[in-house]
Amino acid sequence: MSEKIYAALLQIYPARFRDAYGDDALQLFRDRSRHEQGLVARLRLWLDLLGDLVVSAPLEYRRAQPAFIGSTAGSAGAPNFLVLETDPPRLGAQFCAGLLSLAAFIAILVAIGNGWNYRFQSAWFAHLPPRDNARFLQPKAALLPASFAFAQAPVSQPQPRDATNAIVDAFKTHDIVMFGEWHANKQEYEWLCNLVSAPEFDDRVDDIVVEFGNSLYQKSVDRYIAGEDVPIEQVRKAWRNVIGAVGPPSPVYEQFYKAVRDANMKRRGKHQLRILLGDPYGDWEKIKDAEDLGPYLTHRDEWYAQVVKDEVLAKHRRALLIMGSGHFIRRNGPGLVEHTIRAAGANPYLVVFGTNAVGGFDDLDKRFDAWPAPVIVSLAGNWVGELPAMPVINGGITPATPLKLADAADALFYAGPRDSLTELRMPRSELDGTAYGNELNRRLMIFPGHAINFLYDQTEVPQFARPQPRPQSGLQPNQQSGPAARPAMPPPPKSMNDPLPPRPPSQ
Amino acid sequence: MPKRKLDPLPSAAFQILLSLVDEDLHGYAIMRQVEEQTGGQTRLGPGTLYGSIQSLLEENLVEEIDLREDAKLGHERRRYYRLTSAGRKLARSEALRLAGLLRVARAKKILRGDYV
Repeated sequence: MSEKIYAALLQIYPARFRDAYGDDALQLFRDRSRHEQGLVARLRLWLDLLGDLVVSAPLEYRRAQPAFIGSTAGSAGAPNFLVLETDPPRLGAQFCAGLLSLAAFIAILVAIGNGWNYRFQSAWFAHLPPRDNARFLQPKAALLPASFAFAQAPVSQPQPRDATNAIVDAFKTHDIVMFGEWHANKQEYEWLCNLVSAPEFDDRVDDIVVEFGNSLYQKSVDRYIAGEDVPIEQVRKAWRNVIGAVGPPSPVYEQFYKAVRDANMKRRGKHQLRILLGDPYGDWEKIKDAEDLGPYLTHRDEWYAQVVKDEVLAKHRRALLIMGSGHFIRRNGPGLVEHTIRAAGANPYLVVFGTNAVGGFDDLDKRFDAWPAPVIVSLAGNWVGELPAMPVINGGITPATPLKLADAADALFYAGPRDSLTELRMPRSELDGTAYGNELNRRLMIFPGHAINFLYDQTEVPQFARPQPRPQSGLQPNQQSGPAARPAMPPPPKSMNDPLPPRPPSQ
Repeated sequence: MPKRKLDPLPSAAFQILLSLVDEDLHGYAIMRQVEEQTGGQTRLGPGTLYGSIQSLLEENLVEEIDLREDAKLGHERRRYYRLTSAGRKLARSEALRLAGLLRVARAKKILRGDYV
């Protein structure tokens, strides 16, 4: 939140300064925030920043006057534009301009604050579909001329679209499409496997950045995805040794890697997809206790964003980003990944997984029944966008919160009614008494510090089970029975505030 | 672009030049070094820091050398800056100027104690 506020304050500086040093200023803010914890230190940090803003912003505006670089010699018959050295504007003029800008800025902010249901009524935008109109209402709207009139927009009917076509179309206007997934969901991954097999997608998209892949194994995955003969035991380490999930990964992830490999192999000689691994590069073979694990756990989003910046944005590639929806949804603004890549120049389109649960667990919305599946629906200017985000995104397993879907994402991916959705689990035979099962038990004793049963006889179960009643007060966790009884979480490792260790060579 | 007036050298710019005397540093490390060398009295904010760095770059008093990670701070790549010979020369002449002023202040006995 603090970083978002500071990022907003940076808008006060001239664009030239922001372009040159905006990222560095944000990075410095992050560094200070990380090292200056506690109320007094935070207060001092903000006093420093505000004081610095007041002093340095006018200086930067003074410096940012257009460059006057002297005239060039005119040639006969050609227009000669004299470029004159000139004095910077008077202080009085700068003061008046500053006041006027501030007034306009506040007016636009107020208008936008009132206006998720408003739409710019302009001939310029009249031809755009509602989704694109909505894009103009986002922060860039503050840059539009204030003379555009606002008017109450009619609430339109949602337009569910075939999910694959919707994603392919999103890539026509965005180089980055973010997909907030629900982990282990069968229907969602069936669609994702179909998506990566679609020629229109493969022609347009370069990379798929995944949360379910440990960066340590990028080299093996690159070879596997390229269709080379790599022992599956080596490649599996990418999703079986993920730092961010201690239990067994759902088979959907292995299926997804295979689908991308198959798509590439069918397209030999054509544009190939690459899977980029966005999970931090911790090596479970070297992690012996929670302190070894701590830095990787804390920097998962940061590392994911860094992979996108280094491997996608810096190389001007297009990518589908897949990560748990909790990492991607906007809560009072973009999450860390989106914020970071936006600061690096990206303009992502965010789609999140969701269902027809709109309130409590039993509150299912019949309006979804008419939709085919899987579909993607834009959230701007329709009743879907007005729904509370949390029950829709998490199948109604937690109470609704005030956050609206339209504020949390650009579009919703709907794979079918909540009760038709299923989770795929790793078969018991791969875990019970196997070396991998024993290794998972070891990891669980490191974090969260106690055993968890991950052996199930059923490999396909309802995705969203009815929430268990909360434990009765007065009982200690170890006095309870049933699935709700779990030991308390241990205190977080002290190393969680440490930076990521140096990256080892990829395997 | 109007030439940035670095004569007299602003205090922030001088502090940045001093911070780079021993080693190449990135922005946050410069801020910390300045804080340390001023006994915690000066913490350069991002606007002042990067505004000053830009001026110093324009005057070729510092140079940007590369983007690299700082192992202590994680994997974000940072811009590192290095003092140029012109920057070192200017820092030295500014230090001499201040030393001259200090001699005058001492002679006028306006300083309490002998630690300065």
